[in-house]
Formats: sequence, C-alpha cells, structure tokens
Amino acid sequence: MSIEPLLRARDLVKEFPVAGTAGLLVPAKKFTAVDSVSFDLYAGHTLALVGESGSGKSTTARLAARLIDVTSGTVHLDGRDITALHGRDLQGVRREVQMVFQDPFSSLNPRHTVERIVTAPLVYQKRPVPGGTRRFAQSLMERVGLDPEHVDRYPSQFSGGQAQRIGIARAIAVGPRVLVCDEAVSALDVSVQAQIINLLRGLQSEEGFACLFIAHDLAVVRQIATSVAVMTDGKVVEAGERDDVFDRPQHEYTRKLLAAVPRIRPEWEAARQRNARERETAR
Amino acid sequence: MMLSVRDLSVSFRTGGRVVDGIDFDLPAGGSLGIVGESGSGKSMTSLAVMSLLPAGATRTGSIVFDGVDLATLTERAMRAIRGDRIAMVFQDPLSSLNPYYTVGTQIAEAYRSHRAGVSRSAARKAAIEAMERVHIREAGRRVDDYPHQFSGGMRQRVMIAMALITEPELIIADEPTTALDVTVQAQILDLLAEVRRDTGAALVLITHDLAVVSEVADRVVVMRRGRVVETGAAEQIFSDPKHEYTRALLDAVPRIDDEIGELRTTELGTTGGDR
Repeated sequence: MSIEPLLRARDLVKEFPVAGTAGLLVPAKKFTAVDSVSFDLYAGHTLALVGESGSGKSTTARLAARLIDVTSGTVHLDGRDITALHGRDLQGVRREVQMVFQDPFSSLNPRHTVERIVTAPLVYQKRPVPGGTRRFAQSLMERVGLDPEHVDRYPSQFSGGQAQRIGIARAIAVGPRVLVCDEAVSALDVSVQAQIINLLRGLQSEEGFACLFIAHDLAVVRQIATSVAVMTDGKVVEAGERDDVFDRPQHEYTRKLLAAVPRIRPEWEAARQRNARERETAR
Repeated sequence: MMLSVRDLSVSFRTGGRVVDGIDFDLPAGGSLGIVGESGSGKSMTSLAVMSLLPAGATRTGSIVFDGVDLATLTERAMRAIRGDRIAMVFQDPLSSLNPYYTVGTQIAEAYRSHRAGVSRSAARKAAIEAMERVHIREAGRRVDDYPHQFSGGMRQRVMIAMALITEPELIIADEPTTALDVTVQAQILDLLAEVRRDTGAALVLITHDLAVVSEVADRVVVMRRGRVVETGAAEQIFSDPKHEYTRALLDAVPRIDDEIGELRTTELGTTGGDR
C-alpha cells in the first residue's frame, strides 16, 4: 500500500517491574507485557488486536494511545513521532486519538451530566465548543442514537448500552482521527452489543476515523475489523487481512483460538435462515 | 421428570417480581439451557431452585426434585440435598473458594459434610481422585495448594471436582465459563460433558451465551424480564424459533464464520432504551 498509515507502531516493548522483587540495591525483576509489537493502522480502517487475558492487547492499545510510556519502540501518528511527547505536546495527541473503554459506568463521572461529560474533552483542551455546549452536546447525542432531551441526566439514569453511547459521544466530540476501543462491547448484552457495533461502523463510515479495536471475542471482531493481529504472551503471532486470518489461519495459536469459539450448529443456523426467508416471502 | 418447576416466582419487596411464574422440566440425565440477557431472571431462577435467594426475596411455586417439593423443605433438609444430590458451579470460582484453606481440604470437607463417618484420610483420597477426574495434573501434590495458586480455568476444575465428588444427580452451573478465556472455556465445557457422560448427571446450564447453549443443552428455556418466552428442544429453538424475541436474539449474535453486515437488532423491544 502506498498510502501512509495514520498510526504506525514499531517494535513496541513494555516492561513492568514485578511487585515485591525489588531490593535495596537490586532492581525489581521485569515482566514483559508487550514484546516487540509492530502494526500499521490506516484511516477509515479497523485493526483488531485479539487475544486472551494476559496477551498484552490492552497494554498495546494504551501504548499506541500514549496513555502509558513505552519501554522501547516508536509510535508515529500521521508521520510524526509521538513516542516521547509529554505535557502540552501530548495534548495535541489527545485531540487526534480518543479511547472508548469496556465499562461505561466506571469511565463516566457519575456526578456530571451528559452535557458536561461529552463536552469535557473540548473544555480541557481549551477549544471553543461549536454552537455552545448545550447544542453541541445535543447534536452529539443524536449522532450516537440518544435522546437529546436527556442532556441534563446523569450516567446512572441510563442503561449500560446507553452509557456506552455516551462514552462514544465523548470520544468523537473532538473529531479524533484514531479511535481506540478497549473491549468496548464486551460487557454488553448481545442485543445491545449488536447496536453498538452498528453504531461504531456507521460513525466510522461517516467520519473516516481509524479504529484500533481490542477484543477477545472473535465473532465480534469478524463483524467489525478490516485487519486482525492475534496476540499471545505479549507478541503478535499472526497478522493480516481479516478474512485471511479467519479463513486461512497460519499460526497454530490462531487455529486453536478459532477452534475453541463456541458456535451455533451450522445446520441449525442454515435451517433458521431458511425458515426466516420463508416467513418473509409468506408475508 | 427429575426436576419439575411450576409457577415459580421470585419477588423483592422493593424491586418487584424478578421471576414471574415460570415452568420447566428436566428429565434424569438431560441437559437444559436457560438463556437470557441481563435482567431476564435466569440467575434468580437457579438460586430459587437451590433455596439460595438473597435476603428480602420471596419465592412462590413448586420445585419438585425426584418427587419432593424443594420449596416445602426446611433449610436443614435442603442443606442435605444441596451439595450432595444437587451440586452447583458458579461463574467466579475464586469467590466460591475459601482463600485460607487448601483446595484439598475444601473438596474433602464438601464430601465429609454429606458422608457421615468418612475419615479424614478417606476424604482426602476421594478429593485427590476427584481432582484427577477433572484432569488436574499431579493431583496428589496440588491437593495441598491454595486457591490463589491455581489459574482461573484450574479453579473452575476444582469447583467441578467439588461438585462431582458426591456423585450428584443434578448439576446446576450458572455462567460457569463466562469469566474464562475462550480456549479454557472450551476445555471446561468438554469436561462438563465428560462428567455427565461418566456419571449420568443431569445439567442445568444458565448462560447469556447462545452458542454455548447450542453446544451443551438438549432442551432450552429462553427467558426475558422474568418470564419464559419460549421453551423447546435445542434443535427447534435454534433452527425454527417461534417467538419474535428468540428470533431477534439469535439475529443479534455475531457470527464468527461470516460478516453479516448490519446486525439486526429490531424487535428486541429496545425502543426508548437499550434494555
């Protein structure tokens, strides 16, 4: 591909000290959570980082979003090295890269109204709020499928799926070019999950942001990803276009992971689709 | 029927009815999946069957297990059945295990509390055997380990060892694999199937995961807002669902084998909210 990636990660390494191993003169032992991970993320595309717990996928996402510092390696955003930025310079990155988290309630301040929550990123960045905070908040709510009348409500007055919509509204408020979703639909009921997946896909096609999608659920990844990187033990063991990874997995671990996913029996599924079509035509 | 539940309701003084007049049956050796989204009442149903409802909850209806209505039993009589003829496996094995005792002590105690006169050494031997049956390697050594020394999947194996040591006729498993990684989940589901094959125990599996139910259950109860919306053989539920809600629920499940474009989410009664 001749187009430059929007987000380029090269040889990311993150080591954490192991608690309780440091002595007076000996440094703590190191645990390598992310071990030499590289990827390219393109505008309008979704790269899914998949893996089981402890695979390093969430840490990788936090490194890429510059929420935590790398031990070594580089992160480039639109050609600019953002690996070592701090303070004011990092604020520029926050304008471009936003996060959506797994638990909508713990990531929303319970004492703030929706209006205050979704406009907070702009306020913190000391940017003007187009059309005033109220109108801007209401327009954001409409875009994520919430009733703009509820702009003065608090997070606890919403269901889990609605709260996640608030989290998404806050993330897109600054018009980010990269959206990092860390298990953003994992805690939701299946029907709500489907709605949020549809919402993210719709927003992406409207806004054209790149999405780094962290997930352990491979069926969800199949619905949303353009490309996939499979992680285990801090390393990427396989990466490629989505359908290649799902239909022709090369690495042993990817095969094991795909084989383990519970499936509704294909013959039952086929019969259900047939019955649904028949009902459609009988109408 | 081994288990016949009739007109079971659970209400809270403050929160209203969370289970609202449900019926289901389970033959000896059968497997029944109870599926639903959060707030459907599926977990309250399992707690009601076991008489483990939280304080403030009232239960009505009958739960006939092998000819005896469990709803009429005293707590003392229920305790003799629970953990012996009916065993339980919960979602979070860590909070079900006592961190201060070795797993061997806990499995052995579960056994001794239902088998009067069994010596400590015999119970310990039974515990090791149970751990071997759930494929915990070096069971003879690991019997003296504490819960935190086991991984999540291994802890769930310990729970299953504890559940099967009394050779129960019925195992009630509430989201037993939800907290586990997908590869570990597959192992635990295989293990439950193996235990059932070997012991002939019946299984009630409570879960939100339709794919898991399709792999495990031969009968399915679909719950929503405290009621049963549809019940039937697994094949019928999955290939020819009768109720709109079941259809919508199945439509919303993302498929791993194919991208299905816009996921259908209509008919789930989500207008005006996500619930």
